[in-house]
Amino acid sequence: MSILQTKDLTKVYTGGIRAVDGINFEVEEGEIFGFLGPNGAGKTTTIKMLNTLIPPTSGTATVAGFDVVKNPAEVRKRIGYTAQNVGVDERATGKENLTLYGHFYRLNTKTIRQRLKDLFELVELTGAEDQMVSTYSGGMRKRLDLAMGLIHQPRLIFLDEPTTGLDPQTRASIWDHIRNLAKTMGVTIFLTTHYLDEADKLADRVAIIDHGKIMTIGTPKELKHTVGGDVVTISSDEEGSEASADFQQKARKALSGKDFVQQIQESNGSLAIIVASGESAVPKIMRDLGAEGVEVQTLTVSHPSLDDVFLKYTGRTIRAQEGTQTTFTQMRLRSNRRS
Amino acid sequence: MDAIADTWFIIFRDLKSRIRMPVFIFITMFQPILWLVLFTQIFKSLGNTPGLGTSSYLQFFAPGVLVMTVLFGSAFSGFATLIDMDMGILSKMLATPVTRTSIVLGRIIATVVVLLVQAIIIFIIAIIMGVHLSTGVAGALLTLFLISLLGLGYAAFSNGFALLFKRQEIVMAVTNLMTMPMMFLSSMMMPSSALPGWLNTARHFNPVDYAIVGARDLVLKGYIWSDLWKSLVVLGAWATVGIIFGTMMFRTKTE
Repeated sequence: MSILQTKDLTKVYTGGIRAVDGINFEVEEGEIFGFLGPNGAGKTTTIKMLNTLIPPTSGTATVAGFDVVKNPAEVRKRIGYTAQNVGVDERATGKENLTLYGHFYRLNTKTIRQRLKDLFELVELTGAEDQMVSTYSGGMRKRLDLAMGLIHQPRLIFLDEPTTGLDPQTRASIWDHIRNLAKTMGVTIFLTTHYLDEADKLADRVAIIDHGKIMTIGTPKELKHTVGGDVVTISSDEEGSEASADFQQKARKALSGKDFVQQIQESNGSLAIIVASGESAVPKIMRDLGAEGVEVQTLTVSHPSLDDVFLKYTGRTIRAQEGTQTTFTQMRLRSNRRS
Repeated sequence: MDAIADTWFIIFRDLKSRIRMPVFIFITMFQPILWLVLFTQIFKSLGNTPGLGTSSYLQFFAPGVLVMTVLFGSAFSGFATLIDMDMGILSKMLATPVTRTSIVLGRIIATVVVLLVQAIIIFIIAIIMGVHLSTGVAGALLTLFLISLLGLGYAAFSNGFALLFKRQEIVMAVTNLMTMPMMFLSSMMMPSSALPGWLNTARHFNPVDYAIVGARDLVLKGYIWSDLWKSLVVLGAWATVGIIFGTMMFRTKTE
């Protein structure tokens, strides 16, 4: 069952910029759907059309069963939203922020009170409920922000760059919280990100968006398979070029012509075997080498990264793209990433 | 019903954050108090001006200070909306089912509530300084009602400008551009009979003057209904137009 569908969804801003250019995709109920693209690719514009903040120029989108243009009020009741910049009020306490949203979602006071406790536990803010948000750390604010979008127990939440500007530890903890939400509450999560590792580790499926167009959609694994196979590298510990050459020759002989092997290459005294799936090839490789009496000392499996996928579909790496922008925010984001 | 409840929650949120910064409420009162205390001392001799309707310039000027307090305070109401916008609070709110107009209406009403508290304090200071209220408590309440209409309208315009221009410095420039002429093109400092002819004509197009005339009648003379109903109608219209402008900007400019 899909909970979100778009058809030729397009946004043209005044001045003729096609921020989102006729995108089509579906999000399945219960999945974590990642929207990966560089800054300015149209991610935020897409999210804002889906959560009714801005009207599309053309095309349609159905969210939780309702059209975003014809029935925005019904859509709003069923979704939660966490914007790129944290939308919490720092001049109020955590509890006040959350209570206000409970009222906005038409919950009665009793229900709000019950859910407050559970939500604060869920995002691990128990004990900080009555503190002013101005005293919260960045990660705490983000967690409160998440909780505010969940108080009405929505079926779908939109997270716009949930970890941008956070330090690595905080990012990891936010990831845990997001996974936890998907698992314990069964809520569908639509998240945008320009971090490859975030899309890779969190999302069940990823759409790569660039210049307002979706370039490809698939599970991270599928996408990586489209780039090429996994690489299994084997080597023997024996010193000396003669022994090494002997090892390579024997291994080559044992493996060549096998149906799971795509290609065999020598690399720095080791042998790189290119296969469709590294995990399933390893037992076969060991079996075949064992049968020929070839002894392997070390073995590593490496997968293509989403960076390679991004390169394939857009013609450049996501980092190179960011490098062309030099706004202050960009620089700050980059320095945060380095630290 | 939802709209009323939403407006109440927005007012409550706004007031709560203001109460947490009581210093700010007093700082913004400092200027009107200066006018009340110092200006009336400097121009004490104006008590002899014909047409003043009293022999005390303080008595004449005090209602004007109430109006001034509301005018200065409501001019900056839109700043809070800009802060909400910059912090992402506004767009997050808009993704919820909250009634759209409640967000701007709640902010405007909360601004006026704070201004009324300030006006009451100014009233009390004026009375301590010797200002006599000829219509008593009932007249004072009607005065507060008149100036709150002025404040509602101006706060709504301020919010409309904030949404239209989206930058604090522009909103500040625009409201300053309005506040000063509105203050001077009125009978705030001099009785209308002592004003030059063109200014006396100009003031009829200025909602601030209607607030001053109404408030001054109630403080100095009593219930002059021929003036009061005009004040009520003009200020009611001013508030309505302001609120329509503010909510319209809110509906169209929050993208």
